Amino acid sequence: MITITIDGKAVTVPEGTTILEAAQQTGIWIPTLCHHESLTPYGGCRLCAVEVAGDNGTQIVSACTFAAVNGLVVETATERVLNIRKFIIELLLAEAPQAKVLQDMAQALGVVQPQRFTPRNELCIACGQCVRACREIVGVSAVDFANRGYERIAAAPFFQRSEDCIGCGTCVAVCPTGAITMRDIAEGEKATVPDGETLEGPARIMDNWKVGFKMKRCTKCGEPFAPEFQLEQISKKVSLPDDFFDVCRQCRM
Amino acid sequence: MKSSSKASIAAILKQYDSGQDSLISLMQDIQSAFGYLPKEALQQAGRELDIPLSKFFAVASFYNSFNLEPQGKHTISVCEGTACHVKNADNLAQMVARELELNGDEGTSTDRQFTLKKVRCLGCCSMAPVVKVNDDIHGSMTQTKTATILNQYRKDKK
Amino acid sequence: MKGSTSKRLAKLQKEGLTTLFPESTKIMVGSASCGIAAGADAVLQAITAEVKKKKMDAVVQKVGCIGLCYLEPLVDIIIPGRPRLTYGNVTPEKAKELVAAAKKGKVLEGALGKITAEPFLIEGTARDYNGTAGGVDDVPLYAELPFYRKQNRIALRNCGFIDPENITEYIAKGGYQSLASVLEKSSPGRIASDVERAGLRGRGGAGFPTGRKWKICLSARSDEKYLICNADEGDPGAYMDRSILEGDPHAVIEGMLIGGYAIGATRGFIYVRDEYPLAIERLEKALEQVREHGLVGEKILGSSFNFDITISRGAGAFVCGEETALIKSIEGDCGEPRQRPPFPAESGLWGKPTIINNVETLATVPVIAAKGAKWFSSIGTDGSKGSKVFSLVGNVNNIGLVEVPMGTTLRDIIFDIGGGIPNNRAFKAVQTGGPSGGCIPESLIDLPVDYDALTKSGSIMGSGGLIVMDEKTCMVDVAKYFLEFLESESCGKCTPCRVGVKRMREILTDICEGKAELEDLTRLEDMAGLINDSALCALGRTAPNPVLSTLKYFKDEYLAHILLKKCPAGVCKDLITFSVDKKTCIGCGACKKACPADAVTGEKKKAHKINTKKCIKCGACREVCPVSAVLT
Repeated sequence: MITITIDGKAVTVPEGTTILEAAQQTGIWIPTLCHHESLTPYGGCRLCAVEVAGDNGTQIVSACTFAAVNGLVVETATERVLNIRKFIIELLLAEAPQAKVLQDMAQALGVVQPQRFTPRNELCIACGQCVRACREIVGVSAVDFANRGYERIAAAPFFQRSEDCIGCGTCVAVCPTGAITMRDIAEGEKATVPDGETLEGPARIMDNWKVGFKMKRCTKCGEPFAPEFQLEQISKKVSLPDDFFDVCRQCRM
Repeated sequence: MKSSSKASIAAILKQYDSGQDSLISLMQDIQSAFGYLPKEALQQAGRELDIPLSKFFAVASFYNSFNLEPQGKHTISVCEGTACHVKNADNLAQMVARELELNGDEGTSTDRQFTLKKVRCLGCCSMAPVVKVNDDIHGSMTQTKTATILNQYRKDKK
Repeated sequence: MKGSTSKRLAKLQKEGLTTLFPESTKIMVGSASCGIAAGADAVLQAITAEVKKKKMDAVVQKVGCIGLCYLEPLVDIIIPGRPRLTYGNVTPEKAKELVAAAKKGKVLEGALGKITAEPFLIEGTARDYNGTAGGVDDVPLYAELPFYRKQNRIALRNCGFIDPENITEYIAKGGYQSLASVLEKSSPGRIASDVERAGLRGRGGAGFPTGRKWKICLSARSDEKYLICNADEGDPGAYMDRSILEGDPHAVIEGMLIGGYAIGATRGFIYVRDEYPLAIERLEKALEQVREHGLVGEKILGSSFNFDITISRGAGAFVCGEETALIKSIEGDCGEPRQRPPFPAESGLWGKPTIINNVETLATVPVIAAKGAKWFSSIGTDGSKGSKVFSLVGNVNNIGLVEVPMGTTLRDIIFDIGGGIPNNRAFKAVQTGGPSGGCIPESLIDLPVDYDALTKSGSIMGSGGLIVMDEKTCMVDVAKYFLEFLESESCGKCTPCRVGVKRMREILTDICEGKAELEDLTRLEDMAGLINDSALCALGRTAPNPVLSTLKYFKDEYLAHILLKKCPAGVCKDLITFSVDKKTCIGCGACKKACPADAVTGEKKKAHKINTKKCIKCGACREVCPVSAVLT
């Protein structure tokens, strides 16, 4: 175990704990955007900037990626730190002014919509949570970043229909800005996949990854419960009885 | 994809083990065989080496040297290094774009004879401004000299 | 060294000396990429053909670049009984004359310089050319030429003097002797200490002490460690690493072997730019040769040291010069930096302790090993030891690669060595350190160049590019240029760099287009400070530097753009108009012919005029005007 000091409070944590985790343990709030406790720390958004004491004065690090070492002294709310957080939110607000998470964060930090920058109106802020979730949680790696620099965006390969997406919606769940949309199309309705075919419900469309799925119906209750392709893929990986996915979870129980 | 292309991918893939370590080198080999990275080739490589297609695309769109589209017969690279910039390399690139009637400031001409690229420092700063046509580097370029070289390649076609 | 290995090196050395100093005439053509761009291949062909035709007994050889880039193609010739002579701007026709004269044992006029004794930096002995035959008294000695007088070539010691594709010539000049003696007499800790005491700092940019870095890695415990040579020379305007790789690849390989031994590594990688095909080709040949002679692989030179080297080609990404991004790229992924610590010396390639040294640093190591820490640290300044290679480019007369002791002033480099500014224009600034660096104004021309002085001035050493700018360079445009560069080279991982740099660039574009307000200058400064504080890696943190340094020294130019809507240097297209100076114009009609927009009118021998409505400001007229009558 190691002991570190955050905002004057001593905290004892296991070795390898990040500053963010240690702060959360003590109830100190550090804002984050690209962080998710179930995913590998990324350190991209820089919103969790904190000030740590080093050999030559203090330095700014991202709390989510910095592993604490014994005796570390951390400040999470200095003027320097707050200015950085405000700056990050200002920059991102001009990217995605309509994102609720950014509006809330702006309010909490006292940031007003910056007038100098023309709004981009792109909800994806390249935090990469969907990319990591698809790789680390789902194990599919259907999407990744495309391009670099300002053009960087989460996308399916070649910006075309994803061949690997199984329509599980994990990416939708982790996306902080609501940039990823999943539409469930009801029976009797029709909808079009971006750049693709028109599907009849029951179906599911992942707009960002330009892919649509036919939904499997439960043989007992008749309700659509999961994309057929997803069930096929799961059956390939996990050995299950052939008829396992004939019924939905509710009816199986 | 033609069966001959499939064969050449197979020959390339033979030199690689599964896993991501040699991904860039593999993609460089594919590009030198095809002139760009065809989606089908990457799909095949992904299947055989157990690498997701999304990783290929991420890497291909990250690095400057990978082409995801077929290229023109000749590639004209106008150097945009600092030494070239202070010697008005911008004007050279714009002149070539005008000559090739490109829509943007880079791209491939409609007859597929030329692809114009602006590139980062070619390391021939002593000869600035520099224009590279295919593998040949031309130094101390002017708009007039660039036009002459362009016409040379056009003539060679005929 | 075991008897058999020492004999083997001695045999190769003897072999090398026979081609290095042949009994017959020797003709060398500078064949680095820049020489080839200037036409060296045609010159080489002409010489080879002529030698064959005249049935001459002569050695014709490709060598690397001696640094006099502005006079390429360069040919060196040694006629028995005479000093070594260098000729510049050689055409195939002139090359034939050279051969014809040599056949008769005569010296052709117009040599740039002569060398009577070729120094052997590593052995410390000099080779004399028997300069008994006359006829070259008028030719100045290299050491007296303004271009060379103040130079001290350590990393560039062999460039232009040996055949880079022949290992025996490298060995003949003392190569691999350092490795042999380190393996025999030194321990890893001791050689690391030697390099630390020598005061060698990383030549790639940050200037971290090389020996200290090695010691950190040496003390890291791991079953495997790696040494990477960073040959991803991405700074626009810097090409010394290319020149070393093309002119003396074995110096880098020997440096890697010594470094690998010092840190306890078993594998080395050379991460080289894909834009440098000739460097890759020469490295591949060099690696074949060291493999053949047992200088890499197992039990090197009879010792217990095992080390192998692999070339890893980059794919075009400036950010891969950053250590953690470079590692990701070798691992086959996008070159995205990650937070340090952990530093690569503790956890690097595939999670193993890894040292990354740049080309010039490694090429210097064998000399330090041979001549000692004391010798090296006697050169340079308090905080920066040894010499540094600079690529002196841009608006300067003598463009080339120069290696000078640390502490040499900018004035010495730009005016004495570089011969000042062409076309009688005034010197305005010199840009150092690439996109992470800054622009140093005329008022600081007497600045002694070392790591600390450059940092203090608001720029950095970087990899050693010196881009000279004259009065016709717009400093706001330069700042915009670097931000554009970084905007497109940012990996996009962190917000401040991905979005912040782009937004700063937008403001600079507005300034260049006359659309900005005075407040924007404060805004730029604020953003610069915040990006510097919050970006993930050095690329992002230093991205605002070109803006900050130009704002510091050239604020009046910014103000002229914003308040007067004028570009004083006549560069920013939205703020200038092209016109013809009636008094100067000779009415030759060249501009009229060159104009792609039919904007120029005028009769022969009468002053021409530019129709500003039609003018697209492409600059074609200015380029062809023989009397500089086109004004902006």
